[in-house]
Amino acid sequence: MSGVKLTWKDDLVAALLAGVVMAVLVATVGDLGYARDEGFYFHAADSYRRWFELLFANPRAAFEPKAIDNAWRVNSEHPGLIKSLFALSNLFLQKKLHLFAMEGTSYRFPGIFLAGAGVGLVYRWGAEARGRIAGLFAAIALFCMPRFFYHAHLACFDVPVVTMFLLATYCFWKAMREGGSRWPIAAGLAFGLALDTKHNAWFLPILAVTFVALCLVRDRLTGGDVKETARRALATLGAMAVLGPLVMYALWPWIWRDTFARLGAYASFHLNHEYYNMEFLGRTYWTPPMPRLYAPVMTAATVPAVTLALFALGLGVRARARIQALLRARAGKIARREGGETDLLWLMAIGISYGAWVLPKTPIFGGTKHWMQAYPFLALFAGAGVSWLVSVLRGELRRLKGANLRRFARGPAAAMALFVVLLAAPIAETAGSHPWGLSNYTPLVGGAKGAATLGLNRTFWGYTTGAVVEYLNHEVPKGGTVYVHDTAWPSWEMLQKDGRLRKDIRGVGAVHEADFALYHHEPHMLGQEYQAWVAYGTVQPAHVAGLHGTPVIWIYRRKGR
Amino acid sequence: MKWPRGLRLGLRVASGALRPKPLLGAFVALGIAELVGFFVTSRRKPDFADWAALVGPMAEERKQGELVVVAPSWAEPLARQALGDEVFPLRDVARPDVSRVRAALEVSALGERASELSGFRETGRREVGPFVIRRLENPSPAVVVFDFVDGLGPTQADVRVTSPEAACLWNPNARVLAGGLGGHPTFPAARFECPGGPFFSVGPTVIADQDFRPRRCLFSHPPARGEVVTRFAGVPLGTVIRGHGGMYWILERERKGAPVALAVRVDGEEIGRWEHRDGDGWAAFEMPLGAHAGKTSATVEFFVSSKNHAHRHFCFEADTR
Repeated sequence: MSGVKLTWKDDLVAALLAGVVMAVLVATVGDLGYARDEGFYFHAADSYRRWFELLFANPRAAFEPKAIDNAWRVNSEHPGLIKSLFALSNLFLQKKLHLFAMEGTSYRFPGIFLAGAGVGLVYRWGAEARGRIAGLFAAIALFCMPRFFYHAHLACFDVPVVTMFLLATYCFWKAMREGGSRWPIAAGLAFGLALDTKHNAWFLPILAVTFVALCLVRDRLTGGDVKETARRALATLGAMAVLGPLVMYALWPWIWRDTFARLGAYASFHLNHEYYNMEFLGRTYWTPPMPRLYAPVMTAATVPAVTLALFALGLGVRARARIQALLRARAGKIARREGGETDLLWLMAIGISYGAWVLPKTPIFGGTKHWMQAYPFLALFAGAGVSWLVSVLRGELRRLKGANLRRFARGPAAAMALFVVLLAAPIAETAGSHPWGLSNYTPLVGGAKGAATLGLNRTFWGYTTGAVVEYLNHEVPKGGTVYVHDTAWPSWEMLQKDGRLRKDIRGVGAVHEADFALYHHEPHMLGQEYQAWVAYGTVQPAHVAGLHGTPVIWIYRRKGR
Repeated sequence: MKWPRGLRLGLRVASGALRPKPLLGAFVALGIAELVGFFVTSRRKPDFADWAALVGPMAEERKQGELVVVAPSWAEPLARQALGDEVFPLRDVARPDVSRVRAALEVSALGERASELSGFRETGRREVGPFVIRRLENPSPAVVVFDFVDGLGPTQADVRVTSPEAACLWNPNARVLAGGLGGHPTFPAARFECPGGPFFSVGPTVIADQDFRPRRCLFSHPPARGEVVTRFAGVPLGTVIRGHGGMYWILERERKGAPVALAVRVDGEEIGRWEHRDGDGWAAFEMPLGAHAGKTSATVEFFVSSKNHAHRHFCFEADTR
């Protein structure tokens, strides 16, 4: 199960995978309402877009400190790269080229593009390290994780940072594997892009330095080339240390002035992040200690079980390969040094992505997205597992008597047959989850109904307003009012700009001012449902919507309206 | 360096631990099982449309005033949507507890049971599609003589504040106000309005308790100084005054607010004093009526106060039984 030397055909496969991913996401994006955070990023992107317009019209004025600060102060608790892409996409692809049917899709497109790029990169890396079967399976398995699929639609940073983290790790891997100057520079640039995407990138230096240290220890113990490893590490870590911050600085105008103070404020925001509410196993957590089991249990409950089992198999297969190599090396049958870096790096990337989320003081407000950067690596191990299963299947087929079966063993049919069996459930679960991605749970916990009974979070971010626009368009009288509950204002307005929600329907911020009240279910929000009961004199929802018979959002209607 | 024998043996065993053929079969089986699992769990009844099938059977089964409880509780909005306010009146949905309930209908789906009815006796059962309707009887229901939340109104009650002394006027058409997330519960249209603004009013509302369950109660925010006094006249008495008090859990869970005191007087005599501290949640109190027990008409006063009235969205319910 070794990797292959990539050719243009692999680039083509990666591009095709990315294209299919983007096409599927664009085709399904219209069903999905806007999450709270998207609303904030629309607002920020609009501010940055105006600055870009000024930049193109009058560069001198755009570089005035006041112009920069006014534009880039908005949402300065997050770096600027991805929001800049939202802004530029909206400016060029929508306002100039009118590419999308809905305004909101133009903001979402950079995230969609990066999701496609991430899936393509998983194929490349998987193929290069573990063979084409492994790469192809890993890429599809990543896309067919329902939570990844949901986040891949959004104008947020969570899937972009998955891709950037993966890209930076890949470049680092190439640099350590091949040496030279090209890959260290690429690693530095990719690290800079990741830094300017989301603070998850802060884990990359820890990952890289620890990995290098372990490689050096291994070389020393096994008689490897310590000097060469050190030389490559120095070049790569040096490039990351120099180019990373430079790229981040260059692409985030907010830190062009008062750099250290502003970076300090950015870091402080995330290091001292406030605690939100999150339901887990029937209890709403809102302050430390947070449950250490949250990340592992939520992973098991939301990632298809077959993918997780294949990940475990992949780990087992790779561990066995390492042990066998070690035993052969001890017996003097092969050279002492026989790699293992790839497995180590993937495993460390998973570990470091989960690391923070098993600490009791880390806020867990965002569900599974926090550790989603581990998922490509999880998929890559799963791909390694599938690659091994395919070889087993082929071996079994070769032992059979029929000539047709032996032919079947040689061609791609064996792999395809296994792909169908192993991907059917992830594909069905992912397709079935839309547009209720955050409400989706795997059969392991009984699906959406089982998760509701277990007391796992049913939704957050208020995005399911998009799933009830048809009811609102039909039932709200002309000029009528709707309490928007957890929907962010810019998210509500974007539904109207898209033409999905009637423009005459007025969103309001208080139950008592409205004729209709939305309620997005989270236990700590229930007080607002009760507010609607008393204000409207009814406990009877006028409309309930959700996933697989599980209520996620419901609407109260004032009596007589 | 020679490795220990045990380690060498262990590594050899580990290196051969993967049994290819059984694993291949296991993964094929797992892939198929998960697919089947997905279809089973995603299509498991009841779906949204199924709840409408309960309308007829519930009309036949439910006797006037009987409590209806849904299990699992997360499905209750679907039952409320299908069956409406008549089957789910607010006072039942936001009940203080089930101690006064004589009989209840449990609508069960997915094989779930309502834990709060676990002490009740099953006396009837009917299956309706994916639902089981159970008639359950309370072996020892409390007999409530008077409910103070139901009794609030200008005919039997009045409200005043003590410092400075001022009457709180009954307004049947006050402006309804809801506080949003983390804010106050809805101030209902019909309420006693005290000096100082809408927070200083007494009226029936619903709060979310420590489990975010709804609790119907009388909003009774203590004033900056003195007490807010809710007085009921002509109250028939049982042997105790029993009730619960609390506030919206989001407010009290930080445990930063001052305690709220509730004192109860019957015909001018204090029969009990109870204190609610942040973190207590929806907590019960019971005050024996002593010599007042069994009176057919008494004056009952509830005094609510706090040393620091900031964010004290206190709400209580009480009855005499």
